[in-house]
Amino acid sequence: MEAVLKQHPRAIGGRLLPKSWRTRTRLAGLVEAVSKRFWTQFKIPRIDLNACSYSLCTACAACLALQKRAEYERKRAEEALQKAQAELAHVTRVTTLGVLTTSIAHEINQPLGAMVNNAGACLRWLTAQNPEEARRSASLVIADGHRAGEIISRIRALAKKAPPQKDWLDLNHAIGEVISLARTEVQNNQVSLQTQLSNDLPLILGDRVQLQQVILNLLINAIEAMSGVRDGPRELWVGSEKVNGIPSESEQGPPEDKGLSGAKRTHVLVAVRDSGPGLDPTGIGSLFDAFYTTKSHGMGMGLAISRSIIEAHGGRLWATANVSKGALFQFALPISQERIS
Amino acid sequence: MMETDALVFVVDDDAQMRESLRNLISSVGLRVELFSSAQEFLESKRPDVPSCLVLDVRLPGLSGLDLQRRTTEAGMEIPIIFITGYGDIPMTVGAMKAGAMEFLSKPFRDQDLLDAIQQALDRDRKARDQRAALKALRSRFASLTSREREVMARVVAGLINKQVGAQLAMSETTVKVHRHQVMEKMEAGSLPELVRMADKLGITVPKS
Repeated sequence: MEAVLKQHPRAIGGRLLPKSWRTRTRLAGLVEAVSKRFWTQFKIPRIDLNACSYSLCTACAACLALQKRAEYERKRAEEALQKAQAELAHVTRVTTLGVLTTSIAHEINQPLGAMVNNAGACLRWLTAQNPEEARRSASLVIADGHRAGEIISRIRALAKKAPPQKDWLDLNHAIGEVISLARTEVQNNQVSLQTQLSNDLPLILGDRVQLQQVILNLLINAIEAMSGVRDGPRELWVGSEKVNGIPSESEQGPPEDKGLSGAKRTHVLVAVRDSGPGLDPTGIGSLFDAFYTTKSHGMGMGLAISRSIIEAHGGRLWATANVSKGALFQFALPISQERIS
Repeated sequence: MMETDALVFVVDDDAQMRESLRNLISSVGLRVELFSSAQEFLESKRPDVPSCLVLDVRLPGLSGLDLQRRTTEAGMEIPIIFITGYGDIPMTVGAMKAGAMEFLSKPFRDQDLLDAIQQALDRDRKARDQRAALKALRSRFASLTSREREVMARVVAGLINKQVGAQLAMSETTVKVHRHQVMEKMEAGSLPELVRMADKLGITVPKS
């Protein structure tokens, strides 16, 4: 472009040119930018700088300004949407934690009870002049205290309103933490829980809190679905495995791949299966819609949020009717290529 | 407080809680055995000594309340102290009705648990003594001849020798001999004592 301007200092359009060299250069730059965009986006042949009038130049400038403005607006709207989604995710997360209050209280009570017992024992050993046992008891108190602290920080991490943050994480570990929070809930509902976590799972780049929210949501949904089961076993199964490509053996499989994210890539697949009443075939399509719920006290946000979280991680979340009975929810997350060993 | 024969069983699925209970209970000189599940406890071989069970209500698999029912059904008379992280009222009522000694919410006062254990052991010791005494009494009663049993049943019902003789068609002297044998074999020092024994054995008075 510079070369064109230099060779033909007054050549743009041949007439009606501004005298100032700077304005001319700017106009030429604009024309070239617009022309390039027209060519790449709409395959409109490039504008010949030598045959370009001043009004065409200003039209190009206006066009470019409008497009920039639109892009800026879109970006702002996207940011606002992301913020709103994060807030909604936080609200549903805290609501889910509310369901688990009893479970959490029990989980913290255990180390507290152990502390009281060990401290009581410590005093008794001191009275009995057995310093060895007293010292052992005191160190048990410390271990119990640390455990209570760990549980609380885990819950705080889930309750905290923090911007999404991606870290390398072990999904099995994340699943284990969620299960330990929901353990009492599982027992209270007489559900037998089985896990089958693959031990060669690669690390995932993702937001721990958000992914744990999805897992927690699927667990609670499964437990609640089974709470109405009077006879027959209440079985909950959680599994993880490494898969090549997203399995799509069923009609309700993952949405068609658009060919962009590469379904052939290696994924980590997490599955939650229950023996509840299963999915209503008429409702299966709207399962992931916002405000769709079959529970009397549900908000209908859980699965919608879960799907948007998984999709924000480049993955997919889908539901299928369990082979024998009940429901099966699965999500697959791609393994990032940019992995630093 | 110190007793070496008694044994406290603890069933709790939380390893740290279990270990702290062992620590606390052994700090007052009691022997402890730990189990992580109800099944494990049921499958264990337990020595025949005064004992009690400290049982968590919520256990994976067979719950504490299930275990309580199983022990009752199996005639395993062991006093149970329930501990729980979260006990609702219906559950507590159910457990107490089914004969639980105590129902403690975690975290409980350590002294409360130790007192409950002490009471439970005392109760088990008494129950064991009673069972042993009843067993001895039964074996003494088993050593009586059928004739002697007939005489005993009538004597403890308040009949005099003459009436017993009339009912059983034997002479008063024969009744006296049988009666003497009964007192001797049952190791009863007096008639009231024999009546109490009959009561414990549940001997019914024949109508005719």
